Amino acid sequence: MRIQTRALSIVMLVVFLGIAAAFLFPFAWMISSSFKEKSEIFANPPIWIPAKLHFENFTQLFTEKNFGRVILNSLFTAITGTVGGLFFCSMAGFAFAKYNFRGKGLLFGLVLASLMIPMESSLVPLFVIYRDLGMIDQLWGVILPRLTSAFGIFYMRQYCMTIENELLEASRIDGCSEARIYFRIVAPILIPAFASLGIIFFVEEWNNFLWPTIILRSQENLTLAVAIRALQSGVRTPYNLIMSGSVISVVPMLLAIFIFQKQIIAGLTEGTLKG
Amino acid sequence: MQNLYWKWQFKSAPYWFIAPFVICFIIFVFLPFSYSVYLSFTEWHGQETKTFVGLANYATLLKSGDFWQSIVNSVLIFVLYVPIMLTLALIFAACLSTTWMKWTGFFRTVFFIPNITSVVAISFVFLLIFNADQGILNQILMSLGLLDEPIRFLETPWWARVSVAILVIFRWTGYNMILLLGGIQSISKSLYEAAKVDGANGIQSFWHITLPLMRRLLAFCTILSTLGTFSLFTEPFILTGGGPNMATTTPVVLIYNESFKNLNMGYASTISIFFFILMMILSLVQLRLFREHD
Repeated sequence: MRIQTRALSIVMLVVFLGIAAAFLFPFAWMISSSFKEKSEIFANPPIWIPAKLHFENFTQLFTEKNFGRVILNSLFTAITGTVGGLFFCSMAGFAFAKYNFRGKGLLFGLVLASLMIPMESSLVPLFVIYRDLGMIDQLWGVILPRLTSAFGIFYMRQYCMTIENELLEASRIDGCSEARIYFRIVAPILIPAFASLGIIFFVEEWNNFLWPTIILRSQENLTLAVAIRALQSGVRTPYNLIMSGSVISVVPMLLAIFIFQKQIIAGLTEGTLKG
Repeated sequence: MQNLYWKWQFKSAPYWFIAPFVICFIIFVFLPFSYSVYLSFTEWHGQETKTFVGLANYATLLKSGDFWQSIVNSVLIFVLYVPIMLTLALIFAACLSTTWMKWTGFFRTVFFIPNITSVVAISFVFLLIFNADQGILNQILMSLGLLDEPIRFLETPWWARVSVAILVIFRWTGYNMILLLGGIQSISKSLYEAAKVDGANGIQSFWHITLPLMRRLLAFCTILSTLGTFSLFTEPFILTGGGPNMATTTPVVLIYNESFKNLNMGYASTISIFFFILMMILSLVQLRLFREHD
């Protein structure tokens, strides 16, 4: 029996290593292609490792396609979107979890409604509203609709429910204002929740594509995902540049997940099951 | 005075806390959605004038095959990927939660990576991999002697759907695996020990203990995938642009094309309303399931 288990363990390890290789292959192909000359991308037989590493694919993105700015834009939207989202979602979640007030049911109904009205079902009117408010081609426009996600409010509400009422009552007796209670007592308790939800928000915002591609126009305002797609131009598409752009957007995530794998996976699991 | 202020801020605090949500809800959800309902009764191509046309768009939608085609496409893609994805996710989750499996942390991370990396980037790599004449996949299959002719992955309707399905499997298996892992880990160890005492082997206890207890979680994963498939956008948009012959046009790709390519904004709004109704029904099912799950 024991020998059997050991044999099984080795066989399964080999099988899983094979599957893992299949899952990593597209990334390896992406990295390999990002160093190729344009003509080597579709070579037959395939070129696994280019003879000469064309680092100029990367430098060209920075010199000709303003990718320095593009990366900053992505960081800006992801960071402000995440911080703002955490702030507003936790406040609303806290209010729904710990207060009784008139209209609570109705307001919570609105949260449910916003969960059920996907952004995709009002792209045209949103575009018109953006045009009228002058928010087309503005990075802020990418962030704003995501600041108060219903999912985030649910998540935070769930977490806030675990806070003990006595703790809040005690601070009220000491004369704390509600705002102070939120900043001094609730926010510190929510730090683990901020971390988990923050990872989800950051990943979503970093990879966000549909809405940014609709409203962002000028090269200096694009985010990474949109800028990569903007390199595509019919038959003359420089796929080597698209691949080096992709490497720029993917590699930081790869490094992050291998360093913080436990926290990220725990956070994301908890997030989906809670929200 | 101090006391009065304290009372006021105590009473009004929850409203202040919720105010940002309400403002965003009005600007980004309520107004656009109402406007969408209005636009669905007009003919509008993005210029100054909108013509009120009553139910004409709705009639067009019901008559023209486009919307139904997009629903059928989503259903076909769903059928192509969900059984494979969930089976893989369940096998991965079951194996990675055993005591004899090695390097579980590493495998979990590797299977999960495609889910958090950029969809746009991954879709472009698959575009290269699936290329009919020079793509690496056809080259490998042909050099192994499995194929004589290259498969035209992105140029024939069925293969295009298969390609989108493969991409979705690649991106979402790990995510479902993580959800299922959570479920498996919450099953009491004593059940397995009891089964072992009764002489059950690993596969038997998987069939008779794990699977029945995971039924609800699997249903939850299926519903999530249904919602996800109907709102699929980036993958088909980059791989195939919704083609060939609309074979991979999902409802959201259709809305995008009608709105921003063909500038049929009234008609696009009608499609949006139908899309909304569909999603609402599905999320109601999801909420119900989830409440029971809780």
